[in-house]
Amino acid sequence: MLNIPQLPLEDIVTKGVNWLTNHLSGLFNLMQHVGQTVMDGMTNALVAVPMPLMIAGITLIAILTTPKKYGFPLFTFVGLAIIANQNLWDDLMSTLTLVIMASIISLVIGIPLGIITAKSPKTAAVVKPILDFMQTMPGFVYLIPAVAFFGIGVVPGVFASIIFALPPMVRMTDLGIRQVPVSLVEAADSFGSTTWQKLIKLELPSARNTILAGANQTIMLALSMVVTASMIGAPGLGRGVLSAVQHANIGSGFVNGLGLVILAIIIDRFTQKLNSKPGEKAETKPWKRWTILATLVVMIGGGVVNAVTTKKETGQRVNLGYVEWDSEVASTNVLAESLKQHGYNVTMTPLDNAVLWQSVANGQVDASLSAWLPITHKTLYDKFKNDVNVLGSNLKGAKTGLVVPDYMNVNSIEDLTNQADKTITGIEPGAGEMASAKKTLSSYTNLNGWQLQGSSSGAMAIALDKAYKAKKDIVVTGWSPHWMFSKYHLKYLADPKGTMGRGESINTFTRKGLKKENPKLEKVLDKFHWSKDDMESVMLAIQNGKSPKEAANNWLKSHQKLADSWYQ
Amino acid sequence: MAKVEIKHLTKIFGKRPKAALKMVKQNKSKNEIVEKTGSTVGVYDINMSIEEGEIFVIMGLSGSGKSTLIRLLNRLIEPTDGQLFIDGQEITKFNKKQMLDIRRKKMSMVFQNFGLFPHRTLLENTEYGLEIQGVDKAERRKRAEKALDNAKLLSFKDQYPSQLSGGMQQRVGLARALTNDPDILLMDEAFSALDPLVRGEMQEELLDLQANVRKTIIFITHDLNEALHIGDHIAIMKDGQLQQVGTGEEILTNPANEYVETFIGGVDRTKVLTAESIMIPALTTNIAVDGPTVALRKMSDEEVSGLVAVDRNRKLLGYLSSDSAVSARRERKSLTEVIAEMPTVSLDTLIADIMPIIYDSQTPVAVIDSNNRVKGVIIRGAVIEALADTEGDDENA
Repeated sequence: MLNIPQLPLEDIVTKGVNWLTNHLSGLFNLMQHVGQTVMDGMTNALVAVPMPLMIAGITLIAILTTPKKYGFPLFTFVGLAIIANQNLWDDLMSTLTLVIMASIISLVIGIPLGIITAKSPKTAAVVKPILDFMQTMPGFVYLIPAVAFFGIGVVPGVFASIIFALPPMVRMTDLGIRQVPVSLVEAADSFGSTTWQKLIKLELPSARNTILAGANQTIMLALSMVVTASMIGAPGLGRGVLSAVQHANIGSGFVNGLGLVILAIIIDRFTQKLNSKPGEKAETKPWKRWTILATLVVMIGGGVVNAVTTKKETGQRVNLGYVEWDSEVASTNVLAESLKQHGYNVTMTPLDNAVLWQSVANGQVDASLSAWLPITHKTLYDKFKNDVNVLGSNLKGAKTGLVVPDYMNVNSIEDLTNQADKTITGIEPGAGEMASAKKTLSSYTNLNGWQLQGSSSGAMAIALDKAYKAKKDIVVTGWSPHWMFSKYHLKYLADPKGTMGRGESINTFTRKGLKKENPKLEKVLDKFHWSKDDMESVMLAIQNGKSPKEAANNWLKSHQKLADSWYQ
Repeated sequence: MAKVEIKHLTKIFGKRPKAALKMVKQNKSKNEIVEKTGSTVGVYDINMSIEEGEIFVIMGLSGSGKSTLIRLLNRLIEPTDGQLFIDGQEITKFNKKQMLDIRRKKMSMVFQNFGLFPHRTLLENTEYGLEIQGVDKAERRKRAEKALDNAKLLSFKDQYPSQLSGGMQQRVGLARALTNDPDILLMDEAFSALDPLVRGEMQEELLDLQANVRKTIIFITHDLNEALHIGDHIAIMKDGQLQQVGTGEEILTNPANEYVETFIGGVDRTKVLTAESIMIPALTTNIAVDGPTVALRKMSDEEVSGLVAVDRNRKLLGYLSSDSAVSARRERKSLTEVIAEMPTVSLDTLIADIMPIIYDSQTPVAVIDSNNRVKGVIIRGAVIEALADTEGDDENA
């Protein structure tokens, strides 16, 4: 083997992104702020339009633009009605905002860039490899700088979507313009067209269909990034899908996914309608145009009326961040419902664990209840301890460790030899527990040759369920409180070296400035605590089919006293 | 002064024009030059002048550089070397803006595949030239409609090009070019994509147009028949170089080199060659002086069976056959009484037009000038010989 030292590629990229984050923070903050405001406004406007009015309006437009065919209007109506029926309307509008924003920006950047690459071989030589790179790089990768630059929320979601969705726009514009027949370009030149006249009067109209096909692809790609972007807090249907994946909830995953499919088909058909050959284009009759316009006006009017007559939401805003673990879903919902009862305007943002810590550290999320300390989230705590306030435990007696069904006759990690295909079934790779498990693998000599299989907390639960029913060996990274201890007979493996943590507590942590800005809220958060039994009862209720909100409210009702104590 | 004057115009495509230029001067072939230098000679050292109001045809086979040459004229292709004068102005020195002006006002182009914009209606296509000049809408509509009306296409003005036949599309192309009212029309194989019938019609229309408006038309074709039919002057190109410039007649009767000779071999001569080029000297008898005996003596000396009867001034009187001369001698009649009528053609009558005459006639055909003077005769053998040269070329007709 040649002895070539490893290139510090990771370091270089990290330093580069850090440099950008530090030096352009003003710009990024401004973009985040403006973007967030615009998109919140847009979502609010869309949501303000009464749902029945919007469904009727879009269906009417579908009817008017699809002469003599009823399939598409029918699909539009039924599809939107299903989404509304499943209570996904607000999510749909958030998704729509993200898609519209990402698509518009992709068009605004992509079309001119495509024109430039078509006209200048030198630019094309530089831009095309970058496009290849952008398109092949997994979409997840863009989430990391997106969070570094813009934090969490819809703006980084749009950022990541644009990078992912831009290439086809540039490519197709470039292609469309290059494909304009030479004889037409010569004809335009021979009559003395300037470059601009040629572009506007010949090249863009000729390339129109190709460009629209590119726009269609761009929109579809932006839509496909919605799910990925939800990992960093972009609201919408993606969140439902992601949560369903993390809890291995097939039904919810399907319903949210179906919402995306319906949206995608509707957008796709509408954009394809713009695409037609000259001469074949059936002229839209004026009355149809006027009706479409009138429909839009009525829809907007309905939105305005609705917005004016609806009481403005009052109360202080609180943004609670959490990770889609069953335990945190329970605690965060309980606190959120309780805070709502006390007049707070609560937003719950599901995030990846590492992103959550970063978001609290940079102040985008007010608080989270999910710090497992001192072991499980040690690495994150060490990284961010100067930028967050850890208020202390909200639940004691939490525990993490390797868990097996109690029909397996191992009792200690040291007893493990070749059970369960030498595999530990883990959860999300970013979770603190996974770091502990990794450490455990290297600390115990008998675990030589064992591997840690990352997945999600939901997938882990399913794997456990399957193995349990078949009475097969399985070793999982487990934690309590967790409903699985109520459902199955399980046991923790003894951990003589203590690498998986010994008795932990779940802690509340807040952003640095919260204490000063809102001492009252800080106090509530500080006082929030409950027991392992409380949490498990909520978790089990959710596991048995109650919605998290409902389960939280039920618990609050029967534990009024404890809940009240948080506000004293 | 010539309308267009071309001096040493040269275009070399590719990276090493100097090396290529050197090889052209050594008379190397195009293929050899491409192989050695990677450069293609588009056109090389073209010199010619085009008069105002004439149809100047540039012809040659594919790859001869004729399309490059026409694009050099309006600088859609930038020349490598040489000068180009239009109305005495050296437009090769013009800047971009001046060039735009030339293209907008002075020259318009018609393309082989029509070059119509598919996303625009016929009217919008026709007014394009005026539109980009910023002419206001009412005015340009009016002029475009007039041009379409002249092309008998006004009722189709709101159709799209794809809804029209090739011939109609090309009429739109021509109308679009004419809407600008240019001095010079550049036509790049304008009729080559049309079927032969429509093509013939378009040629006639172009000639009609030329008779009315007197534009200077530079017409490119690879079809010699088309060139001979419409061209006042014809330039023949090969491998980017000019072989010969002249009238159709000059090129046919006096090809400058072997290439031109081979090139014109393919033409339908019956539509090009005139009586003058196939007539033979007439054997005459001045019947005011000669009697039957003299006439018969002449016939036996020349081994023919008839003579052209003329008067003192060599004006045509008729045809004297040996039979008539014999009967005149027997019956003692004067020759004037026995001569038969003789079909006549003028010097510039096309062979194609002579054929039916000679087919019906018992006698040779006399070729006469405008004063009825006999210049020669055409016998069947000469026509057959002329036809033999055009064997197998009927599809070019």
